[in-house]
Amino acid sequence: MRVFLALLTYFSYFFIVFMYTLKIVEYLKMPLHLRWELYPVIPEERFKYGGSYMEEPLFWEKKRRRSLLRGLLFLLKDYFVLSEYFKRKRSYWLSLYPWHVGFITIILFHISCFFSGLLMLLGFRLSPSSSLVGSAFYYTTVSLGLLSFLTGLFGSVGILIKRLEDADLRLYAAPMNFLTYVFTILVFSSGLYAFFLDPSLEEYRHFWEGLLSLRFVDVSRETAIHIILFSLFLIYLPFTRSIHYITRILGFFLIRWDDRPNKRGGEIEGLLERELERKVDWAAPHVKRGVSWKENALSL
Amino acid sequence: MKIKELSRPKDLFCEIRREELIGLPYPFDRLEDIPEIGILPEEKRERFEVSLDGVMAVGIPKPKDKEEEERFIRGFISGLRKLLSKDDNWTFLQPLFHSLEYCVKCQICSDSCPVYIASGRKEIYRPTFRAEVLRRIMGRYVKNRRGLLSRFAAGDFELTFTALARLCELAYRCTLCRRCAQVCPLGIDNGLIAHEIRKVFSQELGIAPKELHELGTMQQLKVGSSTGITPKALANIIAFMEEDIEEKTRKRIKIPVDKEGAEVLLLHNAGEFLSWPENTEAFAIIFEVAGIDWTLSSELAGYDAVNYGVWYDDIQLARIAVRHAEIARALKVKKINVGECGHAHKAMIVVADRVLTGELNIPRESALPLLEDIVVKEKIKLDPRKNDFPVTLHDPCNMVRLMGIVEPQRRILRKICTDFREMEPHGVENYCCGGGSGFAIMQTANFPDWRSLVSGRMKLKQILEVFQDVISRDANKYVCAPCSNCKGQIRDLFSFYNVWEKCRIFYGGLAELIVNAMVDLEKPFIEWVWR
Repeated sequence: MRVFLALLTYFSYFFIVFMYTLKIVEYLKMPLHLRWELYPVIPEERFKYGGSYMEEPLFWEKKRRRSLLRGLLFLLKDYFVLSEYFKRKRSYWLSLYPWHVGFITIILFHISCFFSGLLMLLGFRLSPSSSLVGSAFYYTTVSLGLLSFLTGLFGSVGILIKRLEDADLRLYAAPMNFLTYVFTILVFSSGLYAFFLDPSLEEYRHFWEGLLSLRFVDVSRETAIHIILFSLFLIYLPFTRSIHYITRILGFFLIRWDDRPNKRGGEIEGLLERELERKVDWAAPHVKRGVSWKENALSL
Repeated sequence: MKIKELSRPKDLFCEIRREELIGLPYPFDRLEDIPEIGILPEEKRERFEVSLDGVMAVGIPKPKDKEEEERFIRGFISGLRKLLSKDDNWTFLQPLFHSLEYCVKCQICSDSCPVYIASGRKEIYRPTFRAEVLRRIMGRYVKNRRGLLSRFAAGDFELTFTALARLCELAYRCTLCRRCAQVCPLGIDNGLIAHEIRKVFSQELGIAPKELHELGTMQQLKVGSSTGITPKALANIIAFMEEDIEEKTRKRIKIPVDKEGAEVLLLHNAGEFLSWPENTEAFAIIFEVAGIDWTLSSELAGYDAVNYGVWYDDIQLARIAVRHAEIARALKVKKINVGECGHAHKAMIVVADRVLTGELNIPRESALPLLEDIVVKEKIKLDPRKNDFPVTLHDPCNMVRLMGIVEPQRRILRKICTDFREMEPHGVENYCCGGGSGFAIMQTANFPDWRSLVSGRMKLKQILEVFQDVISRDANKYVCAPCSNCKGQIRDLFSFYNVWEKCRIFYGGLAELIVNAMVDLEKPFIEWVWR
């Protein structure tokens, strides 16, 4: 059992990282698209009212002042607030927010478990009465675990009810959406159950120590069930829309905020030259089929 | 209602009822005073598939037999595959992929859509509805998810002629204002999905509203303008404008045409020459007085800034953008300035920025910052007391939300008007006039009724609200709309509801207001005559 648990955990982490990487690479390898930005563009200087550099005469002669950091912070901040939902759909936010807090904290919980395991391997003792580092990691792990299981469970039950009860949401939901909610209920509730049986999460830290040292350990049935469910959930996630955590950042920077002007002789122009050589296969009568975009643009 | 029911034949899939539409302020608060959407004649209903909402924007003829129906469906599926191909759709592949793959269907965007809200929340107009239909079709017919898997992962959908023809019409019930995209925390753009559906119909099946394609981009490239104005007709119009300027202002101005090496090539929407020559005249007066070295072009398509391709067809978009740039290059101008036309701004300055390369990559900018420069630096003498009537500003989506040109027009208005008031919401959160994405020029069958009753309703509501304290006929009021298509839509809206007669609310461009404030004009430039 312990070997199975360990292998499943290794595999699930490898699988999700591999699949997410594939998806991100696929996303990034897509061709340069036409500009389709939408204001406000947060990295822009005039972001407060949604202005752009095109408000200035002869803007191509002037230096653009952009802050990518501001854009990144804007997006990161919203992971912890979900402000548009709070502003526009409060009843949905009430479930969505704890659901997402559950996800964020379960990731942090596992990161914390990883470092706890590492510290234990290095000889640290992790308990309320141990050294500053030991007790800090102890409390961090326990509180993150508890917070994750509680908020995640509350959120996943709430969002399931909301999807069923709200006709606007139900109409667009596919059975897979409900499977996801049920799956998350199982993951968070199994975690909470395991926590009640082992409030110090001692087993969990030892499990991670074993994963890191390759000296796998046995855990109780309840903890094992949670580990299995969580691992299966990680394997399941790439088949859902969950990667929107990452693609959201890509989408904002590469599409919604992509207002980079095409300067003569610049990098974008070089990329464009290549795109314009692509052959067109559209079949409508006004399209010249089989010739390049450039030739199409130059012809009638 | 279920989404898959869009496939099922039914005389009317969704009925638009006047009593369900969002209410309007005084004096349009009485339901019985508002006209209904005209019912299409029997002959049209027999011949065309118009069962979506009883409105006809495109009008796809019903197939004669099963074979024609299947050919149509096969063509659409083939188009969908091209939509996902790097070669055929490099132009929008990444944004489309993002919006198709990562929408979580939270419906947070719905309340931001003026069409959905104004219609009384008709499900078919919800921003996510057409996206969901496309997603399901993609899942089953392009990604080949069949049976249980299809139903489990994405929800089922059967592709029929009825479904496709309704989807095509539905792509023309979204003004592409992209207000929905603006509120999406995940960056999903349902407006883009409507745009991409239009593209499949146009680029693969050759189906588009005739005002956009046949009378639009094709006519512009062949005749010179979507208005039908030929270079010869333009010469007559310019002569008329010069006479009219002299009559109104006593200024003798020679409008420069095809002046080689000019600083500025000014591109107007040719609709201005025909319907609002006072706008093009105002530009000529301002540029003359401010000493701008400028020119118009008389080349085919060079005197019409429009680029309807931006709404439905990337190839047509590229052809017109290239044509405009070629004309500018041949004239050896330093830059192109786009006049008061929102979609031409976006097409020429923003979207075509990734079409034009090398010598065609000529600097292009909006005329608004240039006007602001002239006004703020007092290159012409202005007196705001000459504009002593209430003025509000309509923000064209293409200039504002989609381009970020928000403040120049405001700084001008604050300087030249005594009573400038903002609609709510405004700026990048504005509401579309209801004529966006080609609607303003689409006059087929009962479509104009729909755009006055549904898509333009939020804008009318805003206009009435902002002038509510002076709504009576006693005072003239002015809606400044620095965009030809918006003006066309506002003209039609006002005619439909009789706004000028009932409330004395007029509309026009920004340049006219500037000229109206010029101290050396003896009589007002704005004539307050409803045409």
